[in-house]
Amino acid sequence: MARTLKIRAHEVDGQVTVKSIIDHPMETGRRKIQKTGKKIPPHFIKEVIVSRNRKIVMEVFWGKSISRNPYLSFQIPGRKGDAITISWLDNRGNSDSATAKVR
Amino acid sequence: MKRRTLLKASLQLGLAGIVFPQIAIGAYPTKAFLAKEIPEVLREAFGSADIGESKQIEIEAPQIASDASMVPVRVSSGLENTESIALVVTANESPFTAYFKLYEAPAFVSTRIRMSATSDLLVVVKADGVLHTNKRPIRVGLNSCGV
Repeated sequence: MARTLKIRAHEVDGQVTVKSIIDHPMETGRRKIQKTGKKIPPHFIKEVIVSRNRKIVMEVFWGKSISRNPYLSFQIPGRKGDAITISWLDNRGNSDSATAKVR
Repeated sequence: MKRRTLLKASLQLGLAGIVFPQIAIGAYPTKAFLAKEIPEVLREAFGSADIGESKQIEIEAPQIASDASMVPVRVSSGLENTESIALVVTANESPFTAYFKLYEAPAFVSTRIRMSATSDLLVVVKADGVLHTNKRPIRVGLNSCGV
C-alpha cells in the first residue's frame, strides 16, 4: 500500500509537538455520484492510536464529521530521538501505521 | 545504510501491526456517534447531559469558516489531569465528531472538522473524573457539505 501517513515531530523544552496528515477519503456516505445518483458508501477512519517508544500515549475515535485527508496535531512530553508511531484503522478494516523520530 | 534504515522501518511497522489489534478492541463509542440530538449524544458519550461550563478550555477556531468541509480547530485544556477531549458540532447530522483519550499531559489537540451549517462547536473535557464544557460559535460560508 502506498504511504498514507506523514508525521513530523519536534521537541522544545521537553515538549514534543507532533503534526500528522493521513491520506484518506473520509467518505460520509451522503455524497452521491452525479451521473447515477448512487450514494457513495461511507468510508472513514474510526480509530487512531499514537504511541511513543511503543507505549500508548493517546487514543482517538473519529466519526464522519472529520475532514478529508485528516490532520492531527498534539503535544506530548518526550525527548529528541523518541519514536512516535501513529496507526489508523477505518470502517472497512484497512489500516496503516508509520513511525517518525523526534527532532 | 539505506537498506538498514529500510529494514528498521519495516521491523517497526511489523511490530506496530502486532500491537494494533490488541488495542483496537478499545471501545468505539458507536452509540454516541449515531445519536442525533445533543442531550442524547452527551448522555451516550458521558452518561450525563448536565455539564458545567469552564473557561479553562480554550478553543481556537475561525469565526467564519470559508470552507465548511475543512474547519481547523485547536483545543487546549488548562484543567489538571485532563483525561479526554470530545468535539461536538451541534448542527451536524451526527454531532459527535471526535473523541481524544489522553494519557499524558499537556492536553492539546488540533484537527480539521466538517460543519453542515453555522452552529456551535461544543468541547467536552473530562478532568479528574469531572466533566467540563465550553463552546464557540462558528459561522459557515456558502458551500457547506451536509454531514
